[in-house]
Amino acid sequence: MQTVKMVISGAVNAGKTEFIKAISEIEVVSTERRATDDTKMIKKETTVAMDFGRIAIADDLVLHLFGTPGQKRFDFMWEILSEGMLGLVILVDSTRPETFRETNRIIDFFVSYRDTSYVIAANKQDRPNAWSPDELRLALRQPPHVKVLPCVASERDSVKNILLELLYVIQEKSED
Amino acid sequence: MALVGNIRDFGLSDFLYLVDRGYKTGGLHLTHEQETALLFFEKGKLVLASRKPEDEKADLLVRLGLIEQAQLDKARQALTSSSNGATLMQVIIDQQIADQEQLQTGLMTHTEESVYGLFGWPEGEFRFEQNQRPDADSPTMPVPVSVENLIMEGVRRIDEWGRIKDRIPSTDMIVKFIDQPGEKAKGVKLAPEEWRIFARINGKDSLAEIAQKTSLSDFDVCRIVYGFLTAGLVDVMKKPRPMAGSRGAQGAEPPRVKKSLVNRIINRIRGM
Repeated sequence: MQTVKMVISGAVNAGKTEFIKAISEIEVVSTERRATDDTKMIKKETTVAMDFGRIAIADDLVLHLFGTPGQKRFDFMWEILSEGMLGLVILVDSTRPETFRETNRIIDFFVSYRDTSYVIAANKQDRPNAWSPDELRLALRQPPHVKVLPCVASERDSVKNILLELLYVIQEKSED
Repeated sequence: MALVGNIRDFGLSDFLYLVDRGYKTGGLHLTHEQETALLFFEKGKLVLASRKPEDEKADLLVRLGLIEQAQLDKARQALTSSSNGATLMQVIIDQQIADQEQLQTGLMTHTEESVYGLFGWPEGEFRFEQNQRPDADSPTMPVPVSVENLIMEGVRRIDEWGRIKDRIPSTDMIVKFIDQPGEKAKGVKLAPEEWRIFARINGKDSLAEIAQKTSLSDFDVCRIVYGFLTAGLVDVMKKPRPMAGSRGAQGAEPPRVKKSLVNRIINRIRGM
């Protein structure tokens, strides 16, 4: 059985869990453990939020979807998750410009040292005052060849479209 | 649809960059404590900036000494009788009520002063109303101005590492010109210190090396390069690491995948 991995990343509340839930064939495994106040005082690292989903491609092939923890202090997890990944979806909450700087930091982490295939999903496009994909491209300073796509992470078709667009990017880089 | 946010999180320079590169037309409304400001853009260029509601009316031209009250009255009368949708400024210029160059210079100074002060706001709500245009009676600039100089000036006032480090996380990064810096740089006025750094950009030297060669501090070099970056003149990139470092994500290359494998996944997702 071969497994391939895609990573879904983005700032806190960008919609990562929702995105994976919309497409996963299994109940999404969300590891979210809230620290008690006592624990927080002793050790902040006790809260971690990660999501795991799965799509069976065939009997011999499975696609795993990993949602990274959004919090900055867990960026060590990003390294582990990014090892061997096929591609990356960066989710952005299009209604919250206060998260754009953090989103840029995440993009920088994942793509600056390696040739990662990725797309940016401009989530929450169904909300009023959502910045359009074109506006997000400028706000995030992304070059024209990077796909910045409209997304509503709660809608399966929208999530499918994002994954397909990412797969087309991967396809272009793949070998015969 | 309006773009809303706070300049604490998405700086004014960043917003001007977005307006410029996105060829945006509309009105940017800013509020900080008791202060307000309104900037109008036409296809990415600034046409009006006001810090007070009364500056949004053509009476400003009289207050700035650019025209006489009688000339303004004459122009307003002509505007009322015209039916071609012209603005007051177009009437003033078309009927040669005042000299276009003098109007441009006078309004430019006023606009720059209005905008520069906004860069001092540590925070403030903004709302960009797309396609909102000034009233016909507004003292718009005869020739819309490029915002690059405004961005540069705004960045000159940044004195904190936090924002700079978002774009330039390390002095090991190297700076390179974007495709046609000569063309882009045409409208930008640089200070002597900025020229010193500009002249050192070669796509090979790191920021630390530039600081060493110019005898400027790392902070000054980063701040100035941040300005170039925000104005869209240069790009910064990381030097390739000689060996896999402690941060795993940067070490390993992604695996080469077979097209057939990708096609299988595509077909499966399409069928879902």
